[in-house]
Amino acid sequence: MPEAEAEVREEAPGRATVKLRGWLSAQSTAKCWQELQTRLAKLSPRSLTIDASEVKITGGIGAALLRYLAEGGMTPGAQVVLQGLNKQAETILNTFTSEDYRQYRPHPPPKVPLIVEVGAVVRGWWQGLRHEIAFIGSVMRALPQAVARPRRMRWREVRCVIETAGANALPVVAVICVLTGVVTVLEASHPLAKFGAQIFLADVIGFSSLRDTGPMVTAILLAGRSGSAFAAELGTMKVNEELDALTTMGLDPVRFLVLQRIVAAIILTPLLTLFGMLMCMLGGMLVMRSLGFPPLMIFHHILNRVGMGDFAVGLSKAAIFGLVIGSVACLRGLQTGTGPSAVGASTTRSVIACILLIIVADTVFSAAQYFLT
Amino acid sequence: MTGKPIIEVKNLKAGYGERVVLQNLNFQVHEGEIVAVVGRSGSGKSTLLKHLIGLNPPLGGEVWIEGKNLVETTGLERQRLLLTFGVLYQSGALFGSMTVFENVRLPLDEFTELPEIAKDLVVLSKLKLVGLATAAQTVPAELSGGMQKRAALARAMALDPRILFLDEPSVGLDPITSAGLDELIVQLAHNFAITFVIITHEMESIYAIASRVIMVDDESRTIIAEGAPAELRDHSTDPRVRRFFHRHAEPEGGIRQAEVV
Repeated sequence: MPEAEAEVREEAPGRATVKLRGWLSAQSTAKCWQELQTRLAKLSPRSLTIDASEVKITGGIGAALLRYLAEGGMTPGAQVVLQGLNKQAETILNTFTSEDYRQYRPHPPPKVPLIVEVGAVVRGWWQGLRHEIAFIGSVMRALPQAVARPRRMRWREVRCVIETAGANALPVVAVICVLTGVVTVLEASHPLAKFGAQIFLADVIGFSSLRDTGPMVTAILLAGRSGSAFAAELGTMKVNEELDALTTMGLDPVRFLVLQRIVAAIILTPLLTLFGMLMCMLGGMLVMRSLGFPPLMIFHHILNRVGMGDFAVGLSKAAIFGLVIGSVACLRGLQTGTGPSAVGASTTRSVIACILLIIVADTVFSAAQYFLT
Repeated sequence: MTGKPIIEVKNLKAGYGERVVLQNLNFQVHEGEIVAVVGRSGSGKSTLLKHLIGLNPPLGGEVWIEGKNLVETTGLERQRLLLTFGVLYQSGALFGSMTVFENVRLPLDEFTELPEIAKDLVVLSKLKLVGLATAAQTVPAELSGGMQKRAALARAMALDPRILFLDEPSVGLDPITSAGLDELIVQLAHNFAITFVIITHEMESIYAIASRVIMVDDESRTIIAEGAPAELRDHSTDPRVRRFFHRHAEPEGGIRQAEVV
């Protein structure tokens, strides 16, 4: 059947007829609708006859046009007669009446007073804080149990996490740390050159790589790469009711899933940081070498300046960062809500919270170190 | 009730990559028919559906919908062809970030030039058909499984399709909702002349609504029976068909080990 066409005739002043012919498909209905709207608005008849004897409707779209026309939607105040409908069209038309539209039409959402909105946000924060405290409590309860009975710990999963989150991250950590080392030393070389003190670039390399850049860049990378993976894994398990399954089997999700990830993060972050520190130093040394310093001289200078204490500071920072990444990411994963966007939302929240806390912890470390030494 | 063929499957070979799931598939679906595709779990029903709706390219053969070869059409013509049918996925596949109303309205927004009021009228009429007009402003996560299925059906019907493909529509529904859905399908086929291809296991539903049944089998990897449901149940001589329709276990008892390729 051909697509529908609409014909508007002015029988007499104030009296019009609309003749619809053909199949009112989604496309042709839209065309007819616009055409009729324009034509009828110009004519503004007091009486309108719709001849639907040659029209075919196969669903709600065509029916919507007929219903709208018949209700005077395009000719307000006019008397409208719909005639010639066949039985099938009439049945379709009757599946949705104007009364139904009045009853079910979308209403704008009720306005919520500002105080209620503020209250809801504060309440949300409060509930979040309570969850976080409860989570810390359950981790603290599970940790001593794991230490007391290490056999109950699922070490295979710890190894698995270390492999995927740690070993597989080596290339990206290498590239980013080398480049960070290069950039840091390049930036420092100009001001030091003014004083003829470029040899002190070795100090920059040593201190920044071991105490700050190495641990922090590695931790931020881990937060983005592995923290998000932890949150997404646990979030997906929550959405798929796997966490409920664990609970009903009498297994505590914190002991069964979270602890493994936290322990793995605490082990792998210092290891990865050690690698990151070396890469950072390598990047810096490459720049120094290109500035004309002999390698032995660079080594000698660095070894003279930095000591085991700096290594220890960097690695202990890394262990704290690991704890932050593991616990925050798992908490965000467990807090995943319902719906398909929930996992994405908790992953994002996990990355943001991890990075924020890493930088706060780093600042606290640096400040403490400054005042204590 | 049946008219001219609206879907024609010619020598279709369905599968993924090198793996052939079903082959030598030849059948037609006529206008206004309600055809049920049945078969055991893993027999390739959903694979067949994916090939019928053009999600997966066939390994061989042709799928004709409304006189056009779905396999060969491309670009705008293919898009137009895709709009002639709606699909209800097993999980509903509603967009979780949108309300039910917005879900059903999406195809109208994307593919028609209808004015706002027309879209509202169409969406509400579809939602009323599936009994969800009062739940228009809720998000899918707030609905029960049955309601999500019905909302997804409303979305599948948004553009007044001539054909509806339903993948296991009754799974997870209570018997009352399931019977209601059956009634709705019959009503849609009768009043709106929609052709249905339904993948299902629900024997009661098959007897209640299907005008024809196509049975596929994973061992012979093709169609092993075709006909009216009661006829297959009462007169088929094929033991596999009889076992399926009479709900008998394997002759050796227990559950057959799955074959994972």
